[in-house]
Amino acid sequence: MNARSPLASVAQSAVLLLFFGMIVFPIVWMVLTAFKLPRDVHSLNLNFSPTVQNFGIVFEAPWNIGLRIVNSVVVAFFTLAIGIPAAIMSAYSFSRFEFAFKRGLFFLMLATQFIPAVVIILPFYLMFRDLGLLDSRTGLVIVNLAIVTPFAVWMLKGSFDAVPVECDEAALIDGASRLAIIWRVVVPMALPGVIVASVFCFILTWNEFIFALILTRDKAVTLQVGLVSFRTERGDLWELMAAAGVFITVPAFIAAVAVQKHFETGLTGGAVK
Amino acid sequence: MHDRLTRYLLLVPALVIVLGTTLWPLVSAITTSFRNWRLKRSPVPQGWVGFDNYAFGFEEPEFWNALKVTVVFVTLDVLIAVAVSLGLALLLRRAGALQSLTRAVLILPFAMSPALIGVSFRFMFNGEYGVLAKSIGWLIPPLADVIWLASPGYAMAALILSDVWHWFPYLTLIFLGGLAAVPVETEEAALIDGATPWQTVLLVVLPQIRGVIAVALILKTIFALKMFDSVQTLTGAGPGITTQTLAHYVYTIGFVHYDMGHASALAVVLTALLVGIGMFYTRLVMPPKAVAR
Repeated sequence: MNARSPLASVAQSAVLLLFFGMIVFPIVWMVLTAFKLPRDVHSLNLNFSPTVQNFGIVFEAPWNIGLRIVNSVVVAFFTLAIGIPAAIMSAYSFSRFEFAFKRGLFFLMLATQFIPAVVIILPFYLMFRDLGLLDSRTGLVIVNLAIVTPFAVWMLKGSFDAVPVECDEAALIDGASRLAIIWRVVVPMALPGVIVASVFCFILTWNEFIFALILTRDKAVTLQVGLVSFRTERGDLWELMAAAGVFITVPAFIAAVAVQKHFETGLTGGAVK
Repeated sequence: MHDRLTRYLLLVPALVIVLGTTLWPLVSAITTSFRNWRLKRSPVPQGWVGFDNYAFGFEEPEFWNALKVTVVFVTLDVLIAVAVSLGLALLLRRAGALQSLTRAVLILPFAMSPALIGVSFRFMFNGEYGVLAKSIGWLIPPLADVIWLASPGYAMAALILSDVWHWFPYLTLIFLGGLAAVPVETEEAALIDGATPWQTVLLVVLPQIRGVIAVALILKTIFALKMFDSVQTLTGAGPGITTQTLAHYVYTIGFVHYDMGHASALAVVLTALLVGIGMFYTRLVMPPKAVAR
């Protein structure tokens, strides 16, 4: 750190540049691959003639990535539409009220994150088999709520804590109900926190893999699991995987970059005071 | 006041979701773990078999292999990811063009899906044309002939590398957040008192972000213990089963062999392990009041 001599300063810049390269290289390489013809994929030569045909091929049979995109979008949308409001209400309660077993309950929310996805999926697989929910988007939304909701409660409580209780009290005197206070006072004031939590949960759901791998076969296959299908008897179709990868990555990147400056407090926000 | 009731009603939706989607499956897995249930033979659970499904500890080398793989993976992965990100965060504290540029891309790997990262790294570690395998071979000639994903130790290294790549930039963001709260005066005072820059960082700066380091350690450990996605898409647990983590082993027993009783027993053990480590860690580093507030 404290670079006083020019040499140290150069060394520091070199290290930073190396880190920068390490972070962006795999992403750049994937994007480049997505623009390659099959014959260029196995070469490291950067001087290839780019093509956009891969982005078209993945929409054709048997890849049908359009359907996968719809599935991923629908599952992410409904997971958030159910999970975030539920989390907002309980985070508010945790933030504002005292009640029996409060600490225990809050800790329980967190502790559920210690349960691995593969444990959650075993009983759900068996239940969905009986209910006919295998290979359905409904089934995916249900299991995705398991990963999203506890995180959202944890993150939202932190941002609600930062809203002064006086705001609630003023609204109470004006005759507002608690629900009205949550939606019209606290959520707007803690909006950056709510957006960060939503974006974080979106990324978790969008990138979810093991649930979709086990629960879907055909109709409800998401983008993530669709990746696996590019492994064929003819070998790995890297250029198509990369094109699908671009579709996976762009929405998550846009969401993440939009809230980047708030992101560092995200996961730890509720914990470190 | 009616708030008495409201406070509980507000909790209901999230509690129902959390209990229904995490605790119910856990209880159900515990029940199934005491039954004989091979899906290929029967669509409904068969007889109760006591602790038979838990006998894997004695007769299954694959279980011990998965446990060993998990311990090796978690230890190296967590240590490397946390050390690298701490170092980078310290470098990024100063203002500068290169610093801003690097800070701007820190969020990207974390937003990428683990499954896709696995696929990308499998491509880049390909023995014939993988750009990472080739670059490493060029930088370190003795490694030029290594077929990464076909050699046990190297496949593990590739797995760790891919996961470190996924996590270290995000951990750096967390550490930057912590470092921002460290008053500059403490550092200046130490330097004036004659401490070297290294001493200042180790003895003055880092102790002040203890809490943040602890949270990062817990977070990374829990996620590393659950490692599945990129095991599946990068190494496929191979070569052989040399990179098969516990989570992947449960998956194999459950959804390749369809032995639900056995898979449930393994799942219960994995959960106990995670909860145990999680509680131990949390107790160790997080004062109870931080959670209670």
